[in-house]
Amino acid sequence: MSTEVKISVENLTFAYGDHVVLDQVSARFAAQRITAITGPSGQGKSTFLTAINRLSDEIPGARVTGRVQINFADGPLDVYAGRYYLPDLRRRVGLVFQKPNPLPISIARNVMLPLALAGRHSRARKLERCEAALRDAFLWDEVKDRLDRSALELSGGQQQRLCIARALVLRPEVLMLDEPTSSLDSEAAGQVEDLLVALRDRCTIIVVSHYLEQVSRIADHGYRIKDRKVVPVG
Amino acid sequence: MSSRLAQRVLMACCWAAALLLIGAVAAVLGFLLLKGAGALTPELIFGEAEPLAALSGRAQVFDGILPAIVGTTALVLLAVGIALPVGIAAGVYFAVYAPAGLRRVLSLLTDVLASIPSIVVGLFGLTLVILMHKHLSARVYPSLLISGVALACLVLPYIIRTTEVAIEGVDQETRLTALALGASRLQNIFKVLLPRSLSGILSGCILAIGRCAEDTAVIMLTGVVASVGLPGSLLGRYEAVPFFIYYTSSQYADQHELMQGYGAAIVLLAICSWLFLLAWIIKGRLAGLAFRRV
Amino acid sequence: MRPAGERLAEGGLAASALASSLVTVAILLFLLVMGLPLLRGGLILQLLGGGWQPDQGQYGIAPMLAGTLLIAPLGLLIALPLCLGVSALVTVLGQNAVSTFIRGFVRFMTGIPTVVYGFVGVFLLVPLVRELFGHGSGMCVLSAALLLAVLISPTMILFFTEAFAGVPESYRRAVDALGGTRVQALVYVILPQAWRGVLSGTIMGMGRAFGDTMIALMIAGNAARVPDSLLDPARTLTSHIALIKAADYESLEFKSIFACGLVLYLITAVLAVAVRGLARDKGAVR
Repeated sequence: MSTEVKISVENLTFAYGDHVVLDQVSARFAAQRITAITGPSGQGKSTFLTAINRLSDEIPGARVTGRVQINFADGPLDVYAGRYYLPDLRRRVGLVFQKPNPLPISIARNVMLPLALAGRHSRARKLERCEAALRDAFLWDEVKDRLDRSALELSGGQQQRLCIARALVLRPEVLMLDEPTSSLDSEAAGQVEDLLVALRDRCTIIVVSHYLEQVSRIADHGYRIKDRKVVPVG
Repeated sequence: MSSRLAQRVLMACCWAAALLLIGAVAAVLGFLLLKGAGALTPELIFGEAEPLAALSGRAQVFDGILPAIVGTTALVLLAVGIALPVGIAAGVYFAVYAPAGLRRVLSLLTDVLASIPSIVVGLFGLTLVILMHKHLSARVYPSLLISGVALACLVLPYIIRTTEVAIEGVDQETRLTALALGASRLQNIFKVLLPRSLSGILSGCILAIGRCAEDTAVIMLTGVVASVGLPGSLLGRYEAVPFFIYYTSSQYADQHELMQGYGAAIVLLAICSWLFLLAWIIKGRLAGLAFRRV
Repeated sequence: MRPAGERLAEGGLAASALASSLVTVAILLFLLVMGLPLLRGGLILQLLGGGWQPDQGQYGIAPMLAGTLLIAPLGLLIALPLCLGVSALVTVLGQNAVSTFIRGFVRFMTGIPTVVYGFVGVFLLVPLVRELFGHGSGMCVLSAALLLAVLISPTMILFFTEAFAGVPESYRRAVDALGGTRVQALVYVILPQAWRGVLSGTIMGMGRAFGDTMIALMIAGNAARVPDSLLDPARTLTSHIALIKAADYESLEFKSIFACGLVLYLITAVLAVAVRGLARDKGAVR
C-alpha cells in the first residue's frame, strides 16, 4: 500500500462461548482512507468492529485472541497487550451502531455526552466542540435552533447523523460505522455517504455495509467476510 | 385426552381447584374483616392516650399498638437501610463485573441464602448475640440493632436478585452505547444501567420492605418483646406488629385483647397489601421515566 | 488515565458481593460452632434418633423431624393439584377477564403475611377441624398442612404459569392447526415441555413448606411427640427453635435448636442446589 497502515489486525479469533465467529483473520486498514467490510448477514461484520475497540470485553461470553495494532498519532498501541484504561481507547476509536440510538435527552446533551464522560466540564468549550461536530456531520443547520429539544424528535436520518456527530466530538483518529445507512431512506443515506467522504481527511474510516453499490461509491479499499475468514477485495 | 368428556372433566377439576383456593383465601380475608372491622378505631392504635400527645412522645401508650407500629417501622428502616446499598452494589457487581466462574459460585451462595428458613436466619442473629456477649461485651443483648442486621440478611438475596435481573433486562445495545463513547464501566452503570433498571430495583426494594414488615420468626429470636413501649434505642428491646398478632393469638386474656389482635392483623394486612400494590404499579409505570441528568 | 475514585468504587462493589455471599457461609459456620458440643461426645445418634424428654435428659429431635416430614410434604401434596389446576385453568382460558382476575388475585395472595394466616387459622380453621372430626383440639397436623398449602400456593402457581407461558407459541399453534383444543395443547404439549418449570416450582414450594415457622407454631399444637395420626398435634424443627429460644444458653436443651437449624439449613440448601441444577440443564444463564 502506498499510504501508511493505521490499523493492523493479525490472527484475530473471535468466539462467543464455543461458537467461533472469526477464525485467525488478518487485515490492514490504511490511514485516512475509507475501508469497507462486506459479507453476508450474521457472519461477523459487526463483531469484527467490536474487537478493534475492545467493546467485546463488555459482551458476556465473548473471547478474543490475536493482535490488533493501531498506529495513533502519538505512537502505536497494541490493543490487546497489557492493561490500560479502556475508555481512553474508545475515545480515540469511535463506533457508530447500526440502529441510531440517541439517548432520551436533548440534542446538545447527546453530542456533549462523550465530553462529559471524559471529564471535560467547561460548558463553553463543550458547546464549541458540539457545534463543530454537528457541522462535520452535516446536521448543524437543521438543529441549531433546537439544541435543547429531545433528540428523539429527530427523523431517522437526522438521528443517525446525530450519532455520528456524537462519535466525532472527541475527534477520534478512527471512526467505525456499522451499516450506517441500512435503516435510512435513500436521500438520508446519500447525506451520510457524503459526510463520510468529507471526513476521510481527518479520520481513518471503517464502514460495514452490505450495499455493494454504496461500497463501490465511497470506499477506497474493501474486505469481505465469509466463512469466518476475511479476504481483501478489489 | 381425546374424548370430549375427559377434557370436560379435567376442566371441571381445574375450575374446582381455582374455586377452592380462592374460596379459602376469601374465607380467611372475609373472616378477618368481619370479626375485626369493629376494632378499627383510634383506640386500637393509641389506647387511652390522646393521639397527638402519643405521636409526639408526650404521652405513653399502654393499650394500643402504636409502639408496635413504631417498632416495625424502625425495624424496616434499619434492615432495608443496610440491605439496600449492599444488595444493589452486589447485584451490580454480579451483572457487570463478575467473571463467569466466580459469578456461578457467588450466585449459588446467594440462592442458598434465599432458601434458608427465616427462623434459621433468626438463629444466626441469636448466635451473633451469644458469641458477642461471651467474647466482646456482657452488655450485648438481643435488640433492635441485631434484629435489623438479621432481617437485612434475610432480604439481601431478594434485592441482589432483582437488581441483577433488572440490569440484565437492559438490552445489549443500550448497555454498549455509552461504553462505545468512552464511558468507563462505572460511568455506564450510573448514567445508563441504573436509571434504566430503576423500576425493577425499586419494586424489589418495596417487596423487601414488605418482607421485613411481616416477618415474625427472625424478630422472635433477636429481641422483640410483647410490651416495652416505644423503642428507646438501637440496643434495646422493641415491639412489632406481627409479634403482637402472634402473641395475642395465644395469650389474649379477654375479648378486648382479642379484638386488638384482629385489628392488628387487619392493619398488617393493609400495610403489606399497599406495599405490594405499590411495587406492582412502579414496576409497570416507571419504565422509561428514568433519564434526567447526563 | 482513570479517575481517582473509580478503583475504590469498583472495589466497594466487589466487597459487597463478597460480603453477601459470605453471609451464607457465615450462617453455616455459626450453626456448626454452636452445635459442636452436640456433634462431639457421640451424641448425634441420640440427638437425631431419640425422643424429646428434657426432664429425663433426653434431647432428641426425632419427634420434630417427624413433624416436619409429615406436615410439609402433606401441605405440598394438598397444594400441588390445586396449583396445577389453577395454572392449567389460567393457561387454557388465555387472555380474558377471569384469568386476569385469577392472576391478580394470586399475586395479591403473595402479599398476605404468614402470621395473618396463622391468626385466622387459630380462630377459624382450628375450631372447624375440631367440630368436623370431633377428636382432639383441632391444633394438629391436618390443620397446619391445610393452611400451609394455601400459604405456598401463590408462589407455585406463579412459577407454573410462567413455565407454561414459556413454551414456544409455535408448538401451541401446531396443535391448533391439527385441530386440537386448548386443553389438548395443554396436556400433550405444554405440560411435557414445561416439566422443568413445574419441578422447580414444586421444589421451591417444598422449600417454603419446610421453612415455615409461624403456621406450625400457631396451628400444629406443639406437642413434642411423634404424631400417630393426622389429628394429633406435632412440633416441627422450625417451631421447636421458636419455642426453646429462651432456655439457658449453656444447656443441652438449648443446643438442640442448633441441631434443628443445621438440619433445616441442609435440607433447604440441597433443594436450592436442585433448582439451580434444573435451570442450568435448561441452558439458562444461571
